[in-house]
Amino acid sequence: MEKSKRISYSQAINDATSQAMKMSKDVIIMGQLIDYSSGVFGTTSGLINKFGEKRVKDFPAAESLMTQAGVGAALAGQRVLLVHIRIDFMIYSLDSIVNWLSMWRFKSNRESNVPVVIRAIVGRGWGQGPQHSKSLHAWFAHLPGIKVAIPATAFDAKGLLLESIFSEGPSIIIEHRSLFNLKDIVPNRPYRVRYGKAIVRRKGNDVTLVAIGCNVIDALKAAKILKKDGIDIEVVDPRTLTPLDRETINKSVKKTKRLVVVDPGWESFGAASEIITSVTTRQNLHLISNPLRITLPDSHTPMSLALEEKYYINAQKIVNKIKKLLKK
Amino acid sequence: MKKFSHKNISKIGKYKIKIPKRFDKKLANRLFRFMLRLRICELYLEKEYHPADQMKCPVHFCVGEEAIPAVLNELLIEEDFLFSHHRSHGYYLAKNAPMKKLFAELYGKSSGANSGIAGSMDLSYTKKNFFAGAILSGAASIAIGAALSLSLKPKSKAIAVTGFGDGATEEGLFWETINYAGLKKLPILFICENNNYSTYAPQSKRQAGMSIAERVRSFGVDSKQVFGNDVFIVYQELKKAITKARKSRTPFLLEAFTYRQSSHVGPPNDEKVKYKSKKEIKFWKKNCPVALSERVLLMKNFLKKTDINVIKSEIKKEIKSCFDYAKNSEYPSLNSWDDLNLSHNSPLADKLLLDLDKTDFDIEQQTEVSKGF
Repeated sequence: MEKSKRISYSQAINDATSQAMKMSKDVIIMGQLIDYSSGVFGTTSGLINKFGEKRVKDFPAAESLMTQAGVGAALAGQRVLLVHIRIDFMIYSLDSIVNWLSMWRFKSNRESNVPVVIRAIVGRGWGQGPQHSKSLHAWFAHLPGIKVAIPATAFDAKGLLLESIFSEGPSIIIEHRSLFNLKDIVPNRPYRVRYGKAIVRRKGNDVTLVAIGCNVIDALKAAKILKKDGIDIEVVDPRTLTPLDRETINKSVKKTKRLVVVDPGWESFGAASEIITSVTTRQNLHLISNPLRITLPDSHTPMSLALEEKYYINAQKIVNKIKKLLKK
Repeated sequence: MKKFSHKNISKIGKYKIKIPKRFDKKLANRLFRFMLRLRICELYLEKEYHPADQMKCPVHFCVGEEAIPAVLNELLIEEDFLFSHHRSHGYYLAKNAPMKKLFAELYGKSSGANSGIAGSMDLSYTKKNFFAGAILSGAASIAIGAALSLSLKPKSKAIAVTGFGDGATEEGLFWETINYAGLKKLPILFICENNNYSTYAPQSKRQAGMSIAERVRSFGVDSKQVFGNDVFIVYQELKKAITKARKSRTPFLLEAFTYRQSSHVGPPNDEKVKYKSKKEIKFWKKNCPVALSERVLLMKNFLKKTDINVIKSEIKKEIKSCFDYAKNSEYPSLNSWDDLNLSHNSPLADKLLLDLDKTDFDIEQQTEVSKGF
């Protein structure tokens, strides 16, 4: 039995970072305000005391440069972890991510790899409004040359972060802040969760419910409610979008003959669309009902509580939509 | 500080080049040879480029801008990192990367420096820490990261060097870079090849305020302007800057005024756009790095006409063999798009980390929504 403890998602990230920095002197971390006690929602607190300012680097409000500096430092031998307290500000570094970081291995015909990991935090709820809430995982999953993880549990957050830091990179980890206080049993030791390996979080026979990031918890809650009505849901959490474990999803849909995807991104051209397309265009699965995507509307996020409730997905909304689908 | 601008340089007429006192003769001749090799290389590539049309690759030739690469070739050590802009051939050769692999790259062949995948603008040679890239100011900003990493290694004498044009200094990213270099006092050398033109647009039409060299000083980055076609002055200034950067681990910017005789991007001659005056073309051709140094080396008897002819024929022979190499090489084959773009190997993770997994999760737990900031 692995020694483990019940810790929050943000503590698991802190734990993984600290262990990685201890295991290899090459690991450095950069980000705005990472060296203050508040430590980016607790995810970097205390690192400055353990590893010093040479390896724990507060960075000016220059997101573009920070990513470029990550590429350069990686070339010279570091393993670089970049932290963006808000993904919306990270957009300044889109040039660096798209034109440099993601192209690096390709341009060198695989010879030069840059182990750069970007942690991008997405706000949600409590009036975060349009400026602090964009879940842009589909953008980055669309881009070749960069891995994309979107962990839903503290266990996966730690395992995927360690895997990212010690892989050849580069990768982006999308972290939904609404998950940061959720606790989970997390092993003490360093371990890995691999990219491209989905997990079946709940077994069921009637519907395959693929859920992404913060919606995994909503999907599990919905499955529990639906069970009372005799509807047996299988919940699949892909955990990483690039690479995407299409096999596990396919296998589940073959069994249930129904596919619903819950995606915390906008509806059009999103991750849900890609998952549904990739399953349904591969083979004739003789689905009992049309595939369904449950996503955010094609709209920016409203600040007002009243509209926020209409905007976001929750367990009850998933329940209602699945019931409606099964009635057809 | 003597102030240069493209406006006052063209008033010089005939530049009086001098070989500085006690300047090593062999060194002077090596500098000249490097420049001549680069010049002939570029002219032959241009000639072969069209109408043959076998190199189907956008190329930014650097005829007229040979002095900086020649000097870097002398002063850089193997461990130094060199990041260049899209006009990359001179910098590539400065790092002693093989010429034949440059040619093969332009032909899109598997024996190219980047296996024919990247082309002229994104040329690199990983073994020698040389990397170029197209988007303006990108290479300079990546150089910051290499300098940052080198600054963590107390025993290292290596530095990061980056070459870019005056156009790159209009990007916001450039100033983020300069600010950080000044803030952290990093071992980085910025070389601005100010050739006055961002494609067709002159600097005066694009930039306000003081010169580039003056502006970076306000960020605590020391700087100097030079006439960039005088290879001896460029050598002296870069030698001072590089020695200092190796020792005191501090940043420096050299603004070298030069001129691109080539079109912005080959093959068509872009002079028909009429963005350059005939007078300035004449001035800069007469005072190009190769012509100036040839004149003074002959005058001082460092070299004879016959020596130069011997050098030329050696270079032409080398270039012919580079063309043969490139033309006779195979095109790259494709194994996997996925593997080309993404690495699925993680040897270090294999060594350090154990596979663990877990499906269950406590969905009953009470949580509160994070508030405010």
